[in-house]
Amino acid sequence: MTTTRNRRRWRQEAALPYLLLAPALVLLVGMVYPFCLGIYYSLTNYWLQYPKRFRFIWFDNYISLLSEPLFARALEFTLGFTAIAVVVQVGLGLAVALFLHARIPGRKAMRALMLLPLMMPPVITALMWKIMMASTNAGILNYMLSFIGVDPINWLGSTQGAVVSILIIDTWGNLPFVSLILLGALQALPTEPYEAARVDGASPIATLRYITLPLLAPFILLAVTFRTMDSLRVFDVIYATTMGGPNDATTNLQIMALQYSFQWYQMGKGMAQAIVLLLLVVVASAVLMRLWNRAAERTAQ
Amino acid sequence: MTGPVRNWQFVTADWILPLDDFLNNPKLTDAGWYKFDDFYPALIAANRWNGKIGGGVGEGPIYSIPVLEESYIVAYRKDIFDQYNIKVPTTMEEMVEAARQVKKNAGIPGIVARGTPSAASIGTGYGSGLKSYTDGKWNEFDGKLNSSLHDPHAVEYTETWIAMVRESGPPNWANMQWYDAMEAFTAGQAGMIVDADFFAAGYEDPKKSKVAGKVGYALIPAGPGGKAYSGLFTWALGINKATRNKDAAWLFVEWATAQRTLLNATIGYRNYNPSRASITNDPRVQEIMGAWGGGSYLKTVVKNLETARVLWIPQPERTRTGDIWARGLHDIYFQRLSAADAFKKADSEIDKVLKEADIKP
Repeated sequence: MTTTRNRRRWRQEAALPYLLLAPALVLLVGMVYPFCLGIYYSLTNYWLQYPKRFRFIWFDNYISLLSEPLFARALEFTLGFTAIAVVVQVGLGLAVALFLHARIPGRKAMRALMLLPLMMPPVITALMWKIMMASTNAGILNYMLSFIGVDPINWLGSTQGAVVSILIIDTWGNLPFVSLILLGALQALPTEPYEAARVDGASPIATLRYITLPLLAPFILLAVTFRTMDSLRVFDVIYATTMGGPNDATTNLQIMALQYSFQWYQMGKGMAQAIVLLLLVVVASAVLMRLWNRAAERTAQ
Repeated sequence: MTGPVRNWQFVTADWILPLDDFLNNPKLTDAGWYKFDDFYPALIAANRWNGKIGGGVGEGPIYSIPVLEESYIVAYRKDIFDQYNIKVPTTMEEMVEAARQVKKNAGIPGIVARGTPSAASIGTGYGSGLKSYTDGKWNEFDGKLNSSLHDPHAVEYTETWIAMVRESGPPNWANMQWYDAMEAFTAGQAGMIVDADFFAAGYEDPKKSKVAGKVGYALIPAGPGGKAYSGLFTWALGINKATRNKDAAWLFVEWATAQRTLLNATIGYRNYNPSRASITNDPRVQEIMGAWGGGSYLKTVVKNLETARVLWIPQPERTRTGDIWARGLHDIYFQRLSAADAFKKADSEIDKVLKEADIKP
């Protein structure tokens, strides 16, 4: 009797870890399988409407990207947009965080308000802005600007206008995220250095420059890392407003991969573009994570 | 849901069934009840294809049954045209002038049109105008399937069109979808629109429209021969080749395209784009559509359907080549390239795609 019970218990104990691991394993397979399939397809000429011609072509898709003028433009836009978006969003986000950290009346209400854009689905945000950005006076943005004597701005219908518009929309939607990280960090900073600075009579600017920013550095880098990864693969805002136009001015690698895969059904080529984007994201985040580790160690010292 | 352009893609990929056997099978189709002859002949022709890339539309098997009709006409603000004595355009030159006059006098864009860099921006007003400009002779490909956008007539027409849109069109033309253009006209923000005929249902709906009762309708400006050659499109129902219940699928298509169903769609659900002549001629439909534009709407559409044809040379990459063409329009609009250079570039990209897809030697 006792041996059977022991054996049953032993069997249960042996199964438990696998049972607990199961969701993670399923998730892993669910992630790894499509990923490998994607890499495989990027090495084939998979073209949905010509199934009979399917064959393995090694790196031809990647090589042909080099002679594709749109790829150069898309890469340029992807990198340029990311650089500007990250600087603007983290810079403004820091300013907002410092502002909301200060002892001002009504800051609790303002903190709650600030979170609103985070709760909006990005496509809804983009469509809302698209309507506000109508190019005639019918658009509320141009209507309001007319009161301060600004001529109607061609927000989404011109090449430069579209780039700026997408930056604005993306910033509006993601600023709260950066502010939230930095505000949380500010509230967790030790108070001693500030007390020492006050005793020494340091100016607010010197306090910011020599105490706050160095202590915040790891968190700023964290925000930069997140925003870089997201900006490299921004999609919803562009898709909902310009679809990559006008004149391909807002086509990034995501939009280009979408066009090749689902508009023109050249899955192999589209997949190759997506893999290039993936490599960009991986490299950028690896570099940023290393910087972050270093900054975190320095602050710990 | 399919249609001419998609059929060319689906047939090449062997995804879709020819429907003639179902149509001619008395066990499945009661010919006297279904009244196949009732469909507009131009719409039926648009859904036939003999499978030969580069030609053969209107010949061979029928791959889909049309549920709606779409041809392209000019809708204009009759009140503004009358007030400022502007002539309803019958040629491209007159259209440029009319757009200019509207903008100058009424202070709104003289013309709105689709402008996003996609094939959809080519297919309606712009493409129909180009076909008419050349008396229906010009095609986007020559007999050997070489892209022919660089043809001097096409370049000349496109220069005129883009210059008109730049001068008298809305500032956001390059980001306009069909619904943006349609809504701008419905909101009273444009003098003319050259697009789908049945957008009229929106213009003439006093609940949604600021221009109800103020719109006139006319054919696309003609070329030297004096005739309009509008494009034609139709959403249509086809059957997937992989389906296990082919007969049941056909019975659904038959039901969905039956006279009674489509009449109910028009009268009950306000789909004013009938693919069957008997629906257009139904007194209840005539009462509504016959009133639009003081009667000019129905007259224009019926006349248009006499010459309207699918504008394109059949080939499975039609959406792709249209997208490339539309990107060429952006190169011209944003003055990155001259019309001739932009179209030379588009031609070489189109030829490259057709070669890659093995459509062209």
